[in-house]
Amino acid sequence: MQKDISISVNKIDNYEKISGCAKYVNDVQIEGALYAKTFRSPIISGEIVSITVPKLPDGYFAVDYRDVPGKNGVKIIKDDMPIFAEKILRYFGEPILLIVGPQKSVVQSLINKIILETKLIEPIYDESNIAINYHYEKGNPQNAFSSANRIFEYTYQTGYQEQAYIEPQGMIGYSEGDKITLIGSIQCPYYVKNAVLLALGCSSEQVRIIQPAVGGAFGGKEEFPSLMGCQLAVAINKIHKPIRLIYEREEDIEVTTKRHPAIIRMKAAVDSDNSLVAISSDIRLDGGAYLGLSNVVLSRAMIATTGAYTIPNVDCSGIVYLTNTVPNGAFRGFGAPQIFYAVEMFLNHIAKDLGIDPLDFKMKHLAKQGDLTSTSGTFRDPILMNDLIKRALEISDYRRKSQKYKLENQLRGMGISLFFHGCGFTGSGEATIIKAQVKLHKDEQDNVDILIAAVDMGQGVRTTMSKIVAHTLGIPMDKVRFPYPDTDFVPDSGPTVASRTTMIVGGLVAKAAQKMHDRWQNGVADTVIEQYVQPDYIVWDEATFHGDAYPAYSWGVNIVDVSVDKVTNQVTLEEAWSVYDLGKAIDDLVIKGQAEGGITQGFAYGYLENMEVKNGKVRQKNMTDYIIPTALDTTKITTELIDNPHAGGPYGAKGAGELTLIGGAPAVAMAIENAIFRRVHNIPVTPESIMELIEYGNR
Amino acid sequence: MVKHIIPDTLSEALKYLYQGDFQVFAGGTDLMVQNRSWSETSIEFTKNMLYCFNLQELKGITAIDGRIEIGAMTPLETIMNHPDVPSLLSEAIGEMASPAIRHIATLAGNIGNASPAGDSLPVLILYDAWVELRNMAGFRMILLKDLIIGPRKTVMHPEEMIVKIVIPKHRFDFERFVKVGGRKADAISKVSFAGAVDIEDGKIADLRLTFGAVGKTVVRNETVEGAWIGMTISELKNGIWRLIDMYDPLILPIDDQRSNKHYRKTVAINLLRDFVDQL
Repeated sequence: MQKDISISVNKIDNYEKISGCAKYVNDVQIEGALYAKTFRSPIISGEIVSITVPKLPDGYFAVDYRDVPGKNGVKIIKDDMPIFAEKILRYFGEPILLIVGPQKSVVQSLINKIILETKLIEPIYDESNIAINYHYEKGNPQNAFSSANRIFEYTYQTGYQEQAYIEPQGMIGYSEGDKITLIGSIQCPYYVKNAVLLALGCSSEQVRIIQPAVGGAFGGKEEFPSLMGCQLAVAINKIHKPIRLIYEREEDIEVTTKRHPAIIRMKAAVDSDNSLVAISSDIRLDGGAYLGLSNVVLSRAMIATTGAYTIPNVDCSGIVYLTNTVPNGAFRGFGAPQIFYAVEMFLNHIAKDLGIDPLDFKMKHLAKQGDLTSTSGTFRDPILMNDLIKRALEISDYRRKSQKYKLENQLRGMGISLFFHGCGFTGSGEATIIKAQVKLHKDEQDNVDILIAAVDMGQGVRTTMSKIVAHTLGIPMDKVRFPYPDTDFVPDSGPTVASRTTMIVGGLVAKAAQKMHDRWQNGVADTVIEQYVQPDYIVWDEATFHGDAYPAYSWGVNIVDVSVDKVTNQVTLEEAWSVYDLGKAIDDLVIKGQAEGGITQGFAYGYLENMEVKNGKVRQKNMTDYIIPTALDTTKITTELIDNPHAGGPYGAKGAGELTLIGGAPAVAMAIENAIFRRVHNIPVTPESIMELIEYGNR
Repeated sequence: MVKHIIPDTLSEALKYLYQGDFQVFAGGTDLMVQNRSWSETSIEFTKNMLYCFNLQELKGITAIDGRIEIGAMTPLETIMNHPDVPSLLSEAIGEMASPAIRHIATLAGNIGNASPAGDSLPVLILYDAWVELRNMAGFRMILLKDLIIGPRKTVMHPEEMIVKIVIPKHRFDFERFVKVGGRKADAISKVSFAGAVDIEDGKIADLRLTFGAVGKTVVRNETVEGAWIGMTISELKNGIWRLIDMYDPLILPIDDQRSNKHYRKTVAINLLRDFVDQL
């Protein structure tokens, strides 16, 4: 009998990370590499009238849109973002050209001498430029609202969030003949490859993407590196020398994608026995200057509009509007943090208005196995939310503490959030867009290589995948190798996003390993390739948002105990508890890392991390002013898991990476609300906003 | 061409200061950030630089004749851990920046930088700290509160440098320092407060109150403080609204990327009230 796969092993990159010998992109030395720096729009909105580049010394180059041999658009969904601006400048910091050369100081001084003449265009910050408009319904919301006993309506607002990965964006590349190789701090090697193919208009074997050690990503390295990759490839294609393009922290914060600020209007119909019969929501995302992935972020938010609950009638609308601000994009949670914040607060507020216990009210509406989802799909697997909640209440002593703090009125409060995350791409995306492929190769010494494009950005994929293979084959971990992805050697197993890696890619890896196991011959080389096949029960109509949005769901409960300082209104997290159903942990400690990091990032989204864009510019543009939590700002976090294996995942595993962030903000916002006896509608709930709420807020 | 000079002795350093316009570089933890440039390129200072890290005579702490003298090049971490250093100063240093920064940053630098949010300043001004300035000709002692006249502005002459900080030794009966930053460590103050009281025969013998990051310089007003000398603590407590009214026109914070003036002002007043409440 094999031991339980969840029992932790030493993470395989522990040594290289802790000793400092891990090679990140900026550690990659290539003889004779030139430095590239981006000349950026100094204005927020306008038209380029003329650009005067100073006379370039020998060996220095300017690279702009005229050097793009293929399409001047970064491949993502609508390819609407240019690689280099041509005429119109849509945000402060938009890339116009690269200056490339052997000496940084000269490159910098050339950049400083570029003269740009522009004609200003009035910038847009409001909702007047709507790019995406979606709508769907379930049941008959019109009827439900017209016959409702009571109707509640509130608006919730969420702010920006910066990924704040420890390693800024960067890429280095070189050419050999007509082939270009890029090494980058990226999440999705094939996104970069496909984007470069479009930009260069060349054939697949002419572009190679390699991933070195990556120092955090959180979604920030999902689509953004494609822009850098295209710029760098265009430059290498022109200059035929190795070039490095590494961002400084401030440059990174000012121009890279962030979490979409959202305004969410929610309306609910409640009948006479305090049952929620209908919900209507209107989700408005600020996409920034270009659409990028914003419509997918919107659709993921819309799909989760009923939260962890079953509500028979739904009317959901959403828009993405474009503004003259930095483009927003992928960030751990991908629309879910915004909508779960709104739904959790909304149900909490409805219950308070009804004079009933918010948790009881929520539990009464919890989704159950067999229920229809918001998009009229079916929750096929068992949903263990009642068990999760029961356990979370036990370990936190939630009920007693909530009551006690309420009576004491000493600015102390408990908050709880209930949430899920859909695992993998939306609907049929895995089958129609991604078509993931994985490869295992065994050599004659019986060493097994995992050949996939999944990126370990700190979340533990290398360990998790190696463990799945070692466990399935019944061989020791040190016989399994997971080389850093290189598109010349690994098939396209899809991007490292959407909480899909363990469940989808890991599932394929487990299948491949099983095949290899079944035909195993000592000392004989073997290769197994496995292709994603969509379960036939998944039926999804993207146009109408109808059907099964996800193959599986992970679930969670977060509870937090906070105190608010009466003198300074600063928030202290006193303790936190979480219980998750993520199917089955492939490694307990890896999951604990995800759980503690995720909830910390989620809490911070709710009360600490504040970013404002004023007159088109990010105000908190460095790590001094953009406040992320330190170890002293965190608290004791207890995490428990309840196994609920999913047939489609390896050993029953479902997604875990994003789930752990989603509940943080609503839990902490609710705890603050309960501590200060004032309704919270907007996050982050900073001390400044707490002060305002205490002075003017509604009880 | 900007000059970079690393003198070995104080007199050599003073000679350079006398000869030309130099920026004195102590720990450099603010100067390096203010003049930051593309990584791996040298920082491009716009002034001649005088690096003081080899000036051994400016390192160390001595306690003599009822005062503590702190050499200008003594790192904050050394000051924080020194037994003779007033506890409130150690406490304030403990909340400044991060341990790595504190091992190289200096008090003299915090003073010379003259940021309204400098965390050591409310405490040093509360202690009536003096600063010894030297030039080729000699030295002068100046009260810290008279040295700093605005954000990044001091009355130091270009040929002068800070050589020591002198703090009169005093143990207050009650004292407190509060820093309000954006998070619990490694943050720049939104507002800070220091308060100290001495009580003799049931009456207030000394009262000192300072506020940081709520004005162009640290706010301290001896006239307001003096008005309460000779009164009892309960008279002070009963007069809290009068005390608050006295500080209200003096506390004039700004809006910026870290906080807003309403919050800063309200918290400054709250800190004052809380200090009196705790007496």
